[in-house]
Amino acid sequence: MHTMPNSKQSRESDTDIILDVRKLRTSFRITGEWHAAVRDISFNLRRNETLALVGESGCGKSVTALSVLGLVPLQNGRVEAERIQLGEHNLQGLSEEEMREIRGNRISMIFQEPMTALNPVLTIGHQVAETLLYHRKMNKEEANKTALELLDKVKIPSASSRFKEYPHQFSGGMRQRVMIAMALACKPDIILADEPTTALDVTTQSQILALLNELKQDSGMSLIFITHNLGVVASIADRVAVMYAGKIVEIAYVNSLFAQPTHPYTEALMLSIPRSDRDIKTLHSISGQVPPIGRIPDGCSFAARCGLEQPICRKLDPTLKPIDVGLTHEVACWVRGDYNLTMIEEHANG
Amino acid sequence: MTSNTENIPMPKSNRALFLEQMNRTFRSNKLTGVGAAIFLLVVLAAIFAPLLSTHDHIDQNILNRLEGPSDQFLMGTDAYGRDIYSRLLHGARISLIIGGVAIISAMIIGTAIGIIAGYYGGRTDDVIMQFNDILLSFPTLILGLIVVAMLGPNMQNMIIAISLTSIPGFTRIARAPTIVIRERDFIEACRALGYRDWRIMVYHILPNVLSDVMVMASLWLATAIRTEASLSFIGLGVKPPEATWGGMIREGFENILDNPWLSIFPGLAILLVVFSLNLLGDGLRDAIDPKTREA
Amino acid sequence: MADTLLRIENIKKFFHVKRGFPVPETVTVRAVDGVSFEVKRGGAFGVVGESGCGKSTLGRSLLRLIEPDSGSVTFDGQDVLGANPSKIRALRQRMQIIFQDPYSSLNPRKRIGAALAEPLLVQGLAYKRKAHERVLKLLDEVGLHSDAADRFPHEFSGGQRQRIGIARALTVGPELIVADEPVSALDVSIQAQILLLLRELQKSHNLSFVFISHDLGVVRFFCQDMAVMYLGRIVETGPIPRIFEDPLHPYTHILRDASPMPDPNQSKKFIHVDGEVPSAVNPPNGCHFHPRCPYAADICKKVSPDWHQVDAERGVACHLFDTGNTGHDYPKR
Repeated sequence: MHTMPNSKQSRESDTDIILDVRKLRTSFRITGEWHAAVRDISFNLRRNETLALVGESGCGKSVTALSVLGLVPLQNGRVEAERIQLGEHNLQGLSEEEMREIRGNRISMIFQEPMTALNPVLTIGHQVAETLLYHRKMNKEEANKTALELLDKVKIPSASSRFKEYPHQFSGGMRQRVMIAMALACKPDIILADEPTTALDVTTQSQILALLNELKQDSGMSLIFITHNLGVVASIADRVAVMYAGKIVEIAYVNSLFAQPTHPYTEALMLSIPRSDRDIKTLHSISGQVPPIGRIPDGCSFAARCGLEQPICRKLDPTLKPIDVGLTHEVACWVRGDYNLTMIEEHANG
Repeated sequence: MTSNTENIPMPKSNRALFLEQMNRTFRSNKLTGVGAAIFLLVVLAAIFAPLLSTHDHIDQNILNRLEGPSDQFLMGTDAYGRDIYSRLLHGARISLIIGGVAIISAMIIGTAIGIIAGYYGGRTDDVIMQFNDILLSFPTLILGLIVVAMLGPNMQNMIIAISLTSIPGFTRIARAPTIVIRERDFIEACRALGYRDWRIMVYHILPNVLSDVMVMASLWLATAIRTEASLSFIGLGVKPPEATWGGMIREGFENILDNPWLSIFPGLAILLVVFSLNLLGDGLRDAIDPKTREA
Repeated sequence: MADTLLRIENIKKFFHVKRGFPVPETVTVRAVDGVSFEVKRGGAFGVVGESGCGKSTLGRSLLRLIEPDSGSVTFDGQDVLGANPSKIRALRQRMQIIFQDPYSSLNPRKRIGAALAEPLLVQGLAYKRKAHERVLKLLDEVGLHSDAADRFPHEFSGGQRQRIGIARALTVGPELIVADEPVSALDVSIQAQILLLLRELQKSHNLSFVFISHDLGVVRFFCQDMAVMYLGRIVETGPIPRIFEDPLHPYTHILRDASPMPDPNQSKKFIHVDGEVPSAVNPPNGCHFHPRCPYAADICKKVSPDWHQVDAERGVACHLFDTGNTGHDYPKR
C-alpha cells in the first residue's frame, strides 16, 4: 500500500501489482449539486489475489468497481483519480473505444442479479460465444467450441445439450455460472464480482464460491469480490478492505482483519453478526445511521456513531496508516491508528 | 435509540404536498400549463356565458342572416340570423356539462368495477372483463347512436351514451395497478389485521390507483367532447334551437362554401378544447411517471 | 410459562398452476406437504430453509392468509382453520405478521400515524385521541420519533420501515407474531438493531414468535427451537444448540457447513454440495433430498421417510434413523 510516495516500505515486489488505484474520487450530481460517493480511496490488487471490498449499502463499494471499469454514466457522474493503472495502461486516459477493449477482455465483471444480467431472448451458448467473437476475433465454430468448454469448466451439467437453452430455463445458481463463464471467456487478468452470491441460497452460494476459488487458482487471475457478508469474506478473501461512507477505513490480510479488527466500525460490524456456532448473549448495534451522500460531516465520517471519538475526529479526516510491523494492516482512525502524536495534539488544541 | 431528526425536513401537510405536486407537474413541461390555462378559459367562458354573450343565443333575426363577422356580431350570424359568438359560448356549456358529467360518472363506475375485478381475480375478473371487452369493442359512435336512438336525443341520454362508452377504459386503467398492488405486503397486512375487503379496496387500493385514473380522465374528457360533437353533427344530439358545437357545424354545412365561418368557428372551438385537454393530460401523465412518484 | 401456544399438525398446501404451450397442463406445486410443530408461549420457534422450501407459505397458512388444504392449527386451544369469520376477526388480534420487504410492506399513500391508527379503529380498540396516543406510544417503543406519525413511508430508511411494520403488528396487542424473514433485507448493523428491538419487545409484550429465516446465525440468536424445511417437508426439529452441535439430517448438516462463518480459520474448506434445490413442481420420489444426499440408499429413492422422534426434544425424517439404524457419523465441528 503506498499512501505516501516516498515511504520506505517493505512489501512484495511491485511487479506483482496488477491494478493500482490511487485517490479515486467518484461524484454524482444530485439535484444540481455534485456529491462524492467514493472519496479519494487508494488500493492495489496483486496477481492471483482475492481482494474483498466489504461494507454496507451506500458505502461506495459497487461504485468503486464501476469507476474502475469506466461504467459510471457520464451524464450525472464524474470519475477522478490520480491513477487507475492496469498493468501498463492508465485506464483513465482511455477513450470509450479503448475501454471496450479492456472490458470483458482484461477486466470482466459479474453482477448480483443473474436474472437481469443475461439477455432473455438469446441462448446462453450464444451469449458466452459473443464475448469470444467480439474480443478474440474467433470464427463462429471456434467460438462455440470454446464456449462449450467454458460451460463445462463452470460445471454446468450436460453443457452440450444445454448450450442452446435460454436463461429462463436455468436456475439462479446456474445462471450465475453462465455469467462466470462469460467473464472468464477472454482469460481476463481481473474479475470484478459485485455481490455475486447475495441473491443465491446458502448451499448454492457455497458452490459458487468454491468454483470461483478453484477457477482463480487454476488461471492465476485476480478477483475483486464485493460483498456485505463478512462470512463470505472470511471464506474467500486474501485481503480485505472495509469501506464506510465512501472511504476505506481498514485494509488488511484476512486473518489479520478477523483476528484484530481495529477500526471501531470494523469491530462494531463483527460484533453485530449473530453466529450459528455459538450462543451469543447480545449483539452490538451501532447507533445512528450512515450519513447520506450529500451530508457527510467534516472529519471522520464515523465519528458521530463511534463512541471513542476525540475532538480531532470531528475536525480532521484520518488517513490510512499501518499499525503492524509488516505494514500490511492499515487503519484510518485517530484513536486506534498509529500516528504522530504531536500532530494529534496540535489539532486537539487548534 | 431514537432516530436523528436534526437535519431532516419537517413533515409536510396535505396542502403543501398538493402544491408541490402541482409545481412539479407544471414546472417540467411548460405546455402543460398552456393546456391547463386554455382549458380553464374555456370553462370560465362557459360558466359566464350569459354575461359574456352579446346577444340572446336563440333569438332569430332573419334580417341579419348569414352576415360575416362584424362589430355587432363578433363571429357573424348563421342561417337564422342568430349570433354565432353567443351560440358558441352556450354551446360550450352543453359540451362541457355533457362531457364532464359523462366522464366523472364513467370514472366512478369504471374505477369501482376495475378495482373489484382486479382485487378478486379469478372468475369475477374473467366475467367482468368479458363484459368490459364487449363494451369496448363497440365503436363509440355506434354505441352512442344506439343509446340515443333507443332513448331519444336529449342531454341526459347523451350523457348516458358517452358514459357507457367511457366506462370500459376506466375499468382497464383501474384494474392493472390493482393487480400489482394486491400482491404487495401491505395489503396482506391489512388482511392480517382483519380489514374487510371493501375497506382494503377503498382506503388502500383506490388511493394508489387514483392518480393513474385521473390522468386518463382528462384525456378521455377530450374524447367525450369530440363524441358529443360527432353525435350532434349527425343530428342525434341535443335538439335545436339549443346551440351545440356539433349541431352548429352541421347547420353550417349547407352554406359552407359561401359562409364558411358558420362551421369554422365551432370547429375551432372543439379543436381548442380537445387540444388543450390533450396537453394537460399528457403533462399530467408525465408528471405521474413512477420514477417521480416516490419522492 | 412453557405451555403450548400454537400447535400445527400436518398442514398441507398445494398450488395448481397451468403451464405449457400450446396445450397447458395443470401441475401441482406441493408447497407445504405435511408440516407439524409446536410453539411454546413466550418462546421463539425458528423455521429454516432455502428458497422454495415452503416456509413463507407455511407462515401465511398459520394465519389463514393463505387457506391450507388440510391439517389443523390450534392457537391457545382454539381451532384456527375451522373458525367462522367472526372468530377469525377475534383471532387476528392475537396473531400478527411482519414482512421481509420494507419497501412493499407499507402503503405509500398513507401517513404512518393514520396507518397505525387504522387497525385500532377497525378492531374497535381505540378511537381518535386515544388511538393517537396509542400510536405515539408504539412509535416510541419501536424507537421512532413522534413526528414519524405525520410522515410518509418513503421518508424512511429500510430499517425504520421495518420498525414501523413491527409497530403495526403490535397495534392490536398480539400474543404471537409470524416474522417472515424480518431482517434479511437489511444491512448487517441494522439487522442487529432490529433483532435487539424484537427481543426487547418480546420481553415487554410477552410475545411468542414463529421466526422464518434462511440465516442460521440469526435464528440461533433469536430462537430456542427450530424446524428445518426442505421442499415442503420438515426434515428435522429440535433445540437449536443441539441441532447445530450435532445435526441429525444430512441436509441440516450441509446447511450448517455451507453457511459462511466470519472466521477465516473455519471457513476455508468449502464443503462439497451436490446439485441444486430442485423445483417444487416435480420433487424427487421418496425422500425429496435423496439426489443430493451423500448417504442415499435404495429405500430413500422410493419411500418417503417416517418421522422419528429421537428423544423428547428432537425429531428427524430420515431413513438413517429407521429402526435398527442409529444415524451416521459426521465429523463433529
